[in-house]
Amino acid sequence: MIEKKQQIFNKLGLHARAAAKLSHLANMYTSEIYLIYNEDKVNAKSLLGILTLAASVGNEIILQASGEDEKDAVAAISDLFNRKFDEES
Amino acid sequence: MIKSVIITHGKLGHELIQVAEKILEQKLDIEAIAFDWQGDGSAMIAQLEKFIARNQGHKIVIFTDMFGGSPSNISTRFINANVEVLAGINLPGLLKFFCCEERNGNFHQIVKKVEQEAKEGINIISEYLGEKK
Repeated sequence: MIEKKQQIFNKLGLHARAAAKLSHLANMYTSEIYLIYNEDKVNAKSLLGILTLAASVGNEIILQASGEDEKDAVAAISDLFNRKFDEES
Repeated sequence: MIKSVIITHGKLGHELIQVAEKILEQKLDIEAIAFDWQGDGSAMIAQLEKFIARNQGHKIVIFTDMFGGSPSNISTRFINANVEVLAGINLPGLLKFFCCEERNGNFHQIVKKVEQEAKEGINIISEYLGEKK
């Protein structure tokens, strides 16, 4: 299992469209992937699960993955966060 | 493959689909049928019959806006092993159906998951936040 701290950079935070992109990406990997924010831990493959975090810009979450492709999964998801979900130039 | 149609009072279904497509950033394989307020429902029945005929050989889920309403009551007559009706669909349920769902799984289980997600998507936010404390 690996974990990585990840800051949220996009202005709108983990809103609906960002959550859709994130869950879609997470579903491309076989690993179990979770997002941890405060005391909440949600399945990164669940769009609504992600939305319940109500995480905003500037917040820091933890990406957690366990499985054969855990490294690739965390790297790809982290990249999506760092690209601000391709919402901003 | 599961085919889907949403039948609602007015254009509610059309709007739900548009919003879901915006969020998911993809064209969704779903049709919308609007209940004609002035009519007796016969136009809606004809549209639904055509949809089902076009999709013979597929499993079909009919989403309606409210249990007991005309769209739902009319849809109920089409229920069989290949056709299920889910009444009271909302945005969370629709997103669940199209996002991240194993579409080749058990038909009833998939519809059940959508039902659960739709129900869980309704929250009094102050109570929800209170439970988390």
